[in-house]
Amino acid sequence: MNAYAIYAGKRLLQFALVVFIGINLAFIITHSTPIDPVEQTVATATAFGSTSPEAVEMMRQSLRELYGLGGSLWGQYAVFWKRIVVGDFGPSLSAFPTPVSVLINRALPWTIGLLTVSTILAWILGNLLGGLAGYYRDSKILKIAGIVAMGIHPIPYYIVAFVLLVVFGYLWPVLPITGGSQMNVQWGWNATFILSVLRHSILPVISLVLVGIGGWFMGMRSLVSNVVTEDYVTYAELAGVSRRRILGAYVMRNALVPQVTGLAMSLGSIFNGAIITEQVFGYPGIGTLLISAVHTGDYSLVIGIASVSIIAVSVCVLVIDLLYPLLDPRVKVS
Amino acid sequence: MRTLGSLALALVLASAGVPALAQEPISNLPRNQTLIVENPEGTIKNAGWFNIWAVNAGGQSTGLHQLAMDTFWYIDPQRGLDGVWMNSLASDKPIYNADFTEMTVKLRPGIFWSDGVEFTSADVVYTAELHMKTNGMRWSAPFQINVASVSAPDRNTVVFKLKKPNSRFHALFTVRWNAVWMMPKHIFEKVADPLKFDFNKPVSLGAYVLHSYDPNGKWFIWQMREDWQRTTLGRYGQPGPKYVAYVDPGPPDKRVIAQMNHELDIIHDTSAEGMFTLAKQSKTSRGWFKGFPYAHPDPTLPSVIFNDQNELFKDRRVRWALALVIDIKAVSMASYRGAATISAIAIPPTGTHTESYHAPMEAWLKAFELDTGKRKIKPYNPEVGKEIAEMLRPSLGDQIPKDPKEIAKSFGTGWWRPNPQAATELLQAAGFSKRGGDWYTPDGKVFTVKIVVEGEARPVMTRAGSMIAQQWRQFGIDAKTDVAQGTMNDRRASGDFDTIISWSVETWGGHPDLSFFLDSWHSQFVSLPGKSQTPRNWQRWSSPQLDKIIEQIRTVGFDDPKSLELGREYVKLMVQEMPVIPLMAYNVFTVMDETYWTGYPSAETDPYTDPVPNWGNSRAMMVKLKPTKQ
Repeated sequence: MNAYAIYAGKRLLQFALVVFIGINLAFIITHSTPIDPVEQTVATATAFGSTSPEAVEMMRQSLRELYGLGGSLWGQYAVFWKRIVVGDFGPSLSAFPTPVSVLINRALPWTIGLLTVSTILAWILGNLLGGLAGYYRDSKILKIAGIVAMGIHPIPYYIVAFVLLVVFGYLWPVLPITGGSQMNVQWGWNATFILSVLRHSILPVISLVLVGIGGWFMGMRSLVSNVVTEDYVTYAELAGVSRRRILGAYVMRNALVPQVTGLAMSLGSIFNGAIITEQVFGYPGIGTLLISAVHTGDYSLVIGIASVSIIAVSVCVLVIDLLYPLLDPRVKVS
Repeated sequence: MRTLGSLALALVLASAGVPALAQEPISNLPRNQTLIVENPEGTIKNAGWFNIWAVNAGGQSTGLHQLAMDTFWYIDPQRGLDGVWMNSLASDKPIYNADFTEMTVKLRPGIFWSDGVEFTSADVVYTAELHMKTNGMRWSAPFQINVASVSAPDRNTVVFKLKKPNSRFHALFTVRWNAVWMMPKHIFEKVADPLKFDFNKPVSLGAYVLHSYDPNGKWFIWQMREDWQRTTLGRYGQPGPKYVAYVDPGPPDKRVIAQMNHELDIIHDTSAEGMFTLAKQSKTSRGWFKGFPYAHPDPTLPSVIFNDQNELFKDRRVRWALALVIDIKAVSMASYRGAATISAIAIPPTGTHTESYHAPMEAWLKAFELDTGKRKIKPYNPEVGKEIAEMLRPSLGDQIPKDPKEIAKSFGTGWWRPNPQAATELLQAAGFSKRGGDWYTPDGKVFTVKIVVEGEARPVMTRAGSMIAQQWRQFGIDAKTDVAQGTMNDRRASGDFDTIISWSVETWGGHPDLSFFLDSWHSQFVSLPGKSQTPRNWQRWSSPQLDKIIEQIRTVGFDDPKSLELGREYVKLMVQEMPVIPLMAYNVFTVMDETYWTGYPSAETDPYTDPVPNWGNSRAMMVKLKPTKQ
């Protein structure tokens, strides 16, 4: 247990270092961008109306003060870390004075909901079909399933999404192609809203599952193909254990360990958002928010989203690292 | 294997039930009483924010400024409901004193906020004074620069005393897209910090009130006020749509699909290809023009803008040489697939400008001579509009008008005749030389020109830039496009470009006065190289002659005929100096679906307003639209 404590301590230090470096990189990158949030705001505010040059110059100065961009970069860096340690990302510069945390909290549930469902669905279907295909190698249906999965997997995601849009939005318009719910539906835990959200998530989920399933399928099929050659599988067959039991209890269970790791990593990266999915399907979420923040030079919001993502992925990796020695006896703590 | 069979069966059964999933785009609202409009702002990240006086804190064209806001005056970019000038909250035009240091406004009585409180001069005084004492509000700066004091002698009169003479002070309160919107004193005076107040739910001065909105910022629904007669739109009759929904339908392809499914009544703008698809496949869709070129020419003038502080472009002969290498017909085809309305002069060919400027200047343009250093040429070709029409006629047939007036309205009149020989002479006169097919600058370097374009955010302008770069390359100039994407605003303001495809000319459209953009072109506002330039003189051009014209315009009234004369002087100077190369109007492919609504504005039958629905002026549409299905 002593060795495990040292191992856990090292992993925790690694975690803290990764998060610190990641957030610093986010600060440096956002502050190096040529997009000036004040210039974006001025451009939007003066794009159409009649504003004299003196007034625009005055607006620039007052916005710079309002957004807290007046001081030196080091001063901004110090303020930034003071806020970060108390979990405050400050106000959004493109939706001033609304706090960044409010915007992220509003968008995050949509992304988590969409990506959790699609990731788990793709994982279950991919592993199930991949496991079956690896074990029942002579099945024609599973061979076809393999060809389909491998055929769709390399197609760029946006093409799959666009085909779905055209088919179900135009040729056979039975599914909504934009938004997270129907217009004028009352938000809350009511059947109308829940059904509307489910309806609007069908196409984004299908697109993600279609593209995601192939990777899991191929990975699992390869793993199962290796496991079935193990001695204990041969002995089980010779001992007359049923094929279904061999597949479930002996083959799949052993082959799943690396796939579980992959699932954990995928779930961690959910917090990155699904930028293309959200853009193509007009789905609300963290990806849409991030794109808007980048276009408007909203440092605070970009850093907020990047930080949430960095922390989420790092936490997932940490949890896997900490659990692995406890779950899999083959992994030794050295 | 039985599991797989069950799965397949489940999928078949599920797909059979899919049609049941089809629904109306809006829940619990009658579609035949609801107008669905695209909001080009897209998804509003801070949807619950309706305090429009805080800069960019929330959405503007979510219906908020079209349906719930109001101010003294509107100038329509087209003909207007009863004329171009609309007295809205004001009952008359602005009244200035002799030296333009005081402006008096008479207010229209009987106008009420949606919560039943009467609108009075106290609201105006409150709006002005709050902006004067608060930094960081949308219109703080213009109030602080211009206004010495504001007073209300009675409930229906407001007097602004100005710090210095300003004959165009009323422009601050005159809607051309937007203007200073009046604030409800009775709401904001109870607020501790007006910059941190979300104004949710907004109290409206327009004919509609907020019905509901998506917290994710995808849609906003407005409902007609029961007391719509007590708003400034009330005198034009009852608005047609009971509900108006402003939505983010997504990128151009999805907008087209949505309109084909009759789920989007007005597309704000789409691609030329999207417009052509709708014209071909949707019988109920129509543009500003019933046929080709469909699009509405906005009072905005995309141009090749030189950085006139760049040594290479300080010589007008160089600027003219580059203009004479451009074949505008090819640019029109590349950018708008021919659906462009071209302009040789630095005035957008739209609204009343064609009558005020383009037609009267035609004779002068035909006679205009350019000295190439070796000879004098007449560069103007008055037939280009017709040539574009004839070029398109074989493929588009009857959609192309035959009447010369209609052709001019649709495609513009003339432009500069491509003349590589004259361009060569001009460049040589300016000290440039051509060796082995390539042009060299007077100091012996390769003549390189980068054309900054915005990229996929503005594909039409980007394609125009690419075509011009190609034409300049063919002439021997090392020209290439430089895609700015999200850095466009920063690069334009900082002067980080040789040339840029953008616009620095924006006008009222419905009024010949040019001060809307021209005042900002005075050399007093030109920044030093490398410093940020304030809108709109992006070309950073200084000219004593132009300064004189601007100073003269400042001293005459808005409607004074002298102002128009001075405007024409500006046009001549721009032709002679060519500090920007005007290309065409910014044509907007607004597409209107007549399945549920009729009475949209149109170029042929009733051009009562600009159909582009993110303009504050588009509120005029509400009283003209009629439902097709009761």
